[in-house]
Amino acid sequence: MDEHNYGYNLSISEKTKMVPWEEKVRVVEEVKSDFRFKEYLFGCLNCGVCTASCPSNKFFDFSPREIVQRFLENDVEVLYDMMHEYIWACSQCFTCWIRCPFGNNPGGLVAIMREVAVRNAFEATKELLKPYGRVLLKVMTTGNQLSADMLQPDLFPDWGPKMADIMEDLKAKRLAIPFDIGKSVKTAWEVSLETIIELYTIWRETGIFEMLEKLDPNLYNVIMDIVEENEERYQKLYEGEE
Amino acid sequence: MAHAELESKWGYVSPGGILRYPEEPPFPVKEYDAHYDHIFEMMEELEAKGEILIHRITEEYQPIPVYTRTGRIKLIPTNKLWHHKSCGQCGNIPGYPASIFWFMNKFGLDYLNEPHQTSCTAWNYYGFGISNPVALATIWLRNMHQAWKTGYYPLIHCGTSFGSYKEIRRQLIMNKELRDAVKPILKKLGRLTEDGRIVIPQEIVHYSEWVHAMRYRIKELYEKEGKAKKIDVSNVKVAIHNASHTYKMIADDYPYDPEVYNGQRPAASTAVIKALGAQVVDYSTWYDCCGFGFRHILTEREFTRSMAIQRKLKVIAEEVKADVIITHDTGCTTTLEKSQWIGKAHGMYYPVAVMPDVMFAALACGAHPFKVVQLYWNFSHYEPLLEKMGITNWRELKKEWEDAVKYISELEKAGKYDELMEFFKEYDLYEPYSKTSTGKPRASATADIPLFES
Repeated sequence: MDEHNYGYNLSISEKTKMVPWEEKVRVVEEVKSDFRFKEYLFGCLNCGVCTASCPSNKFFDFSPREIVQRFLENDVEVLYDMMHEYIWACSQCFTCWIRCPFGNNPGGLVAIMREVAVRNAFEATKELLKPYGRVLLKVMTTGNQLSADMLQPDLFPDWGPKMADIMEDLKAKRLAIPFDIGKSVKTAWEVSLETIIELYTIWRETGIFEMLEKLDPNLYNVIMDIVEENEERYQKLYEGEE
Repeated sequence: MAHAELESKWGYVSPGGILRYPEEPPFPVKEYDAHYDHIFEMMEELEAKGEILIHRITEEYQPIPVYTRTGRIKLIPTNKLWHHKSCGQCGNIPGYPASIFWFMNKFGLDYLNEPHQTSCTAWNYYGFGISNPVALATIWLRNMHQAWKTGYYPLIHCGTSFGSYKEIRRQLIMNKELRDAVKPILKKLGRLTEDGRIVIPQEIVHYSEWVHAMRYRIKELYEKEGKAKKIDVSNVKVAIHNASHTYKMIADDYPYDPEVYNGQRPAASTAVIKALGAQVVDYSTWYDCCGFGFRHILTEREFTRSMAIQRKLKVIAEEVKADVIITHDTGCTTTLEKSQWIGKAHGMYYPVAVMPDVMFAALACGAHPFKVVQLYWNFSHYEPLLEKMGITNWRELKKEWEDAVKYISELEKAGKYDELMEFFKEYDLYEPYSKTSTGKPRASATADIPLFES
């Protein structure tokens, strides 16, 4: 399918063209079968208010209106292609949602598309997510997404010289934060062991560990080592209590 | 305040049990009786069926009513609060939660700040699509159950968590399949009620709503203690940046007020700044997001800084020359602060102080700029703002904080933990482990705090 049925201006990558049609249909149907889909898509007048107020549209080739239109027309080829790079430009601010006269939620549609892209471990998604490994490691193992020791100056050179200044004697500066559980360096606040064990159960039961294994097996192994270590600590500490 | 008393003062209770405006709305309302409000009626129905238990905002939480944009009145609990902290704030802007605790101490309010809480993990989801609605909902409900179990009401510090939780609640109430999916996991965690119900808070409450509801008490404190220290904010020009996830996500569940643009813009943050008597200045791109983008702040910062500089910092500098940009979320504060320095490389350097409403309010009320408000961690140029507010001794105050850090460092390196703990008893806003909700020995997820190892 070289030319788009409706003559839209969105190019389709060669990789997408090579994928069997049935596979593209399967993936798009996976998005459409999500229980949120019916709550996020109603009708569209092509008024373009969503795109006009979209921050990502100001700097990327990205349009929430296109997302809505492609779904309304069930444009499988374009939708499948969008799931590899296009959707990752969205900044998930949901300005489109509050502004749409129909109550469409293009940002929400993007969230579902991203989730399906990750679940299907698309190659492009793996590449896009590579720089995110540190945050993923942190949130999966500690239940915090950010900590003071993650803000290394060499990773944020564009934030200026203050970064290096803050990192100097970081531990003492963290201890000078005036509430006890905020004093930790490796987590944003001190998360109790019993709490993190509950989070591991949630990751397991909801398939998030599996999702990660498909996406990045190396990172998954590192994470599972820490998970198992903490589970052992927990068992030793509270042995016989339950 | 009893419900009947609230009703007589504020409005009436609809057949669905929702507190609503009086007949004459306080400001023009476009979507009176919006579809979203139906969620609250459905919650009542689910409770009646025995599916959920609503963690109600009773009198012990000292609720204050605020308007929303639909005709529904939202109750904001102000006392006995369980702090649902923000990972970005605690890890990156620690003066943010510290200022909230400081106010609660000043007002003599009861609260619980314990380690039995996880992040909402929604940054992870919005940025990278890793997770799913069942995981997000279970994490939310697990944290809410923990608050309910302690008897304290959850106060959400982070705008991302607040937006995510509002959305999840709607999904959960509207979708039986989601409720059915989370229930067995919650059961496994011991996070259902004894009779097997899911615990859902009556309202999801953001700290900025608490600040909004408490603005007149904050004003009183400023008049009494801030002004006694010669602090004066009347000449300070303030540009407001509202966070997308607070008012654009589930837009019908956030405060609006006749005092703020006649109810046509979100009221939180603006109203407290007005109450303090500072000058709120308007600018043309007030509606734009900051550029945080979840994923972008980490891996596509050229977008983040382009948005922050070109659509916010430059516009604010050129149109209104504000002394400070007031935020009410973690990501926006980080983005608008940390995108400034790099502007030098493009001849687009617009230095301006950036801080959340509660930190500005704490400064106005006389909180220590460094020991409490922890301005040291801020990247933006706060010094001219402090001078303009009348906090002209900020250098000495900074030296006090630096001396405290030095002292802490020496004790810590010498392993004098007992002395350190004694020091914290005076220094900390929340006494170390004065209150937690479990009797278990203390152990952390990272075991990196030798001071507190069990």
